[in-house]
Amino acid sequence: MADEIIQIETPFQFNEENRREFDELIGRYPIKEAAMLPTLHLAQRQEGYITPAVMKHVAELLEVTVMKVKDVVTFYPMFFEEPVGKYVIRICHTLPCALRDCKVVLDHLKAKLGTDVASETNLAKGTTDDGKFTLMKVECLASCDVAPVIMVNDDLYKNLTPEKIDELLEQLPN
Amino acid sequence: MAFIKLNDLEIEVEDGTNIVEAARQHGIEVPHYCYHPGLSRPANCRMCLIDLYLRSSEMPERQLATGCTTTVRSSPPERKIDGKYDVIVRTDSPRVIKAREDILEFLLVHHPLDCPVCDQAGECDLQDFSYRHGHDKSRYVEVKNVPPKKDLGPDVLLYTTRCIVCTRCIRFCDEVSGSGELGLINRGSHDEIDIPRNHAGTPIQLLDNKLAGNVVDICPVGALISKDFLFKSRPWFLKKESSICSGCSVGCNITVEYKEDGLYRIKPRFHEDINQHWMCDDGRLGYHYVNSDDRLQLPQKRVEDELVTTQWADALSLITEKLTEVEPDDVVVIGSAQATNEDNFVLQQFAHDVLKTTQLGLFGQLPGEEHKFPQFTIEADKNPNTAGARTILGSANGNVVLEGETLWEKVAGAKVVYLVSGVPERALNETEKEALGKVDFLIVQDILPSAVTELADVVLPGTTFAEKDGTFTNSTGWVQRIRKTIDPPGEAQADWLITQQIAKQFGGEFEYNFAGEIAIAIAEHVEGYGDATHQKIGDAGVKLA
Repeated sequence: MADEIIQIETPFQFNEENRREFDELIGRYPIKEAAMLPTLHLAQRQEGYITPAVMKHVAELLEVTVMKVKDVVTFYPMFFEEPVGKYVIRICHTLPCALRDCKVVLDHLKAKLGTDVASETNLAKGTTDDGKFTLMKVECLASCDVAPVIMVNDDLYKNLTPEKIDELLEQLPN
Repeated sequence: MAFIKLNDLEIEVEDGTNIVEAARQHGIEVPHYCYHPGLSRPANCRMCLIDLYLRSSEMPERQLATGCTTTVRSSPPERKIDGKYDVIVRTDSPRVIKAREDILEFLLVHHPLDCPVCDQAGECDLQDFSYRHGHDKSRYVEVKNVPPKKDLGPDVLLYTTRCIVCTRCIRFCDEVSGSGELGLINRGSHDEIDIPRNHAGTPIQLLDNKLAGNVVDICPVGALISKDFLFKSRPWFLKKESSICSGCSVGCNITVEYKEDGLYRIKPRFHEDINQHWMCDDGRLGYHYVNSDDRLQLPQKRVEDELVTTQWADALSLITEKLTEVEPDDVVVIGSAQATNEDNFVLQQFAHDVLKTTQLGLFGQLPGEEHKFPQFTIEADKNPNTAGARTILGSANGNVVLEGETLWEKVAGAKVVYLVSGVPERALNETEKEALGKVDFLIVQDILPSAVTELADVVLPGTTFAEKDGTFTNSTGWVQRIRKTIDPPGEAQADWLITQQIAKQFGGEFEYNFAGEIAIAIAEHVEGYGDATHQKIGDAGVKLA
């Protein structure tokens, strides 16, 4: 069992634009390892999720072991190790949002997308069959004054109601 | 030196000693998990908490301190407490005792308490400290985390449920082996030790460095387990003996753990100047040949191209007959870098005093690869006693000890060759095979059927490092003791004893009764070995001047 090791057939490389961005950001840190989070974000934006090839490449770039990268990737829930939808919808379910009926919004999203909520270890559970959306619950998004809120990829949407959700989902390009 | 008050003891300790070590030196136990003297100190297990009095002997500091990261130093007179102490420490105050109990309760929250089926039971710090310092019951009523068991590499299994995440193994791989295969995945109470894997759990890299076995030793609980030892024996049934690893010329100090029926495992033993706390997996797992069913148990002689077993008396008289027939110049006597100094000394005496030959050679395992780690080196010379054998074989009359090409040239021209091997597994190259093939009468002393015994006319069953007493000299000049653990198989005997018996056939005056006597003779006769008697060597070894 233990002698099977993943052979990385197609190594990961940053594309030209991301490589430039990496070269720029690495200069901002006193040691290379400190650039771990932005580098992983950059790689995830390009690849969609963190594959073993990504971990290996990041480890080489930052001169650390692959395990150090894996360590960070599993620590933070915003890094994905399996494919996710084109749009990752993060819905806040902490107290202020809960008091402002985030459950209604969540139920509406679940019904509308026809999917369950993803768990940290099983992202496929919250991903739609067409691979367009992944729905996940998160802790506070730091916008309690405009609760309930969701984030779709990098954008925040405030004061949500089922109607606003319908409107939002329709305007998202395929 | 710092002068400290530890509980009610007034003691002097070296500057820079931490409290755990200071207490250990004076027989006081400060329980700890994450602290290991050979590794860095993250102080994450919180088990070694102590009460510290830095300003007055009346009031301890407000918070408990970790003993492992609290080092003591002598302070200027005006800062001494009660005018004399550099620090006052209590390891037995009520709040320290309470803190230990509580920490242990936390550490045991997700622990499965499966001691009855756990390999570590009996030598487990979690078990021992729970018994001595813990609560008798847990208040935890929630569901325990049950992470899966993991295969980390060729010899290491991780029973993840038992892990208390002290991170000793991670620090070992980062600091000592420098390979960094291990790390923590997930967060908080879901933290797990692991090797890098993809999401489906297939490894990207294995824990397969040559020092990997050490993580099993330093694991204070039953989480990291050696596959080689898994379910083989309960540790309390094993007898233990201090010895030296025979795998290479480093000479790692080891503890051999054995029962009547053979060796069960080998663990490293601390030696500050040689191997610190560690040893390599080649040495650790390389003992299996000792237990082999193929071991030579009786003398053998060649009858019509086939080796058949015979009696000792028969083999000895055959050897004597052949040896008396030939001139001293036609005999080559070859000692072994796998054999002890004692074995080689008696062999050398026999060659010099009885056979009157000056043709002495040295045989041994073929060189391997050198492996360098940040804090450890595995040497290329795969013999434990090359340095010792070379000195001792050459000591009698300033003999040049023949090795390599020159040795095989001499062997090819000799009529009788007496070769002591004892090398576990070794192939012969063409030159060696040809040279040994040309010999009229080849006497081989070995432990297993091998390429050498195939060519022999008489085979005498010798012993491994585990079955005899003696000394090895490592590459840095340390003379260290190996000790007899199990009995040799069948009628096999210590190599020096066999040589002595042959010598006696010639009426030689050899009356050694045990290896220690030979060591005394070595101390008298061999330059530099003056202090290398068994008594002086003890467990710590003696460094040659």
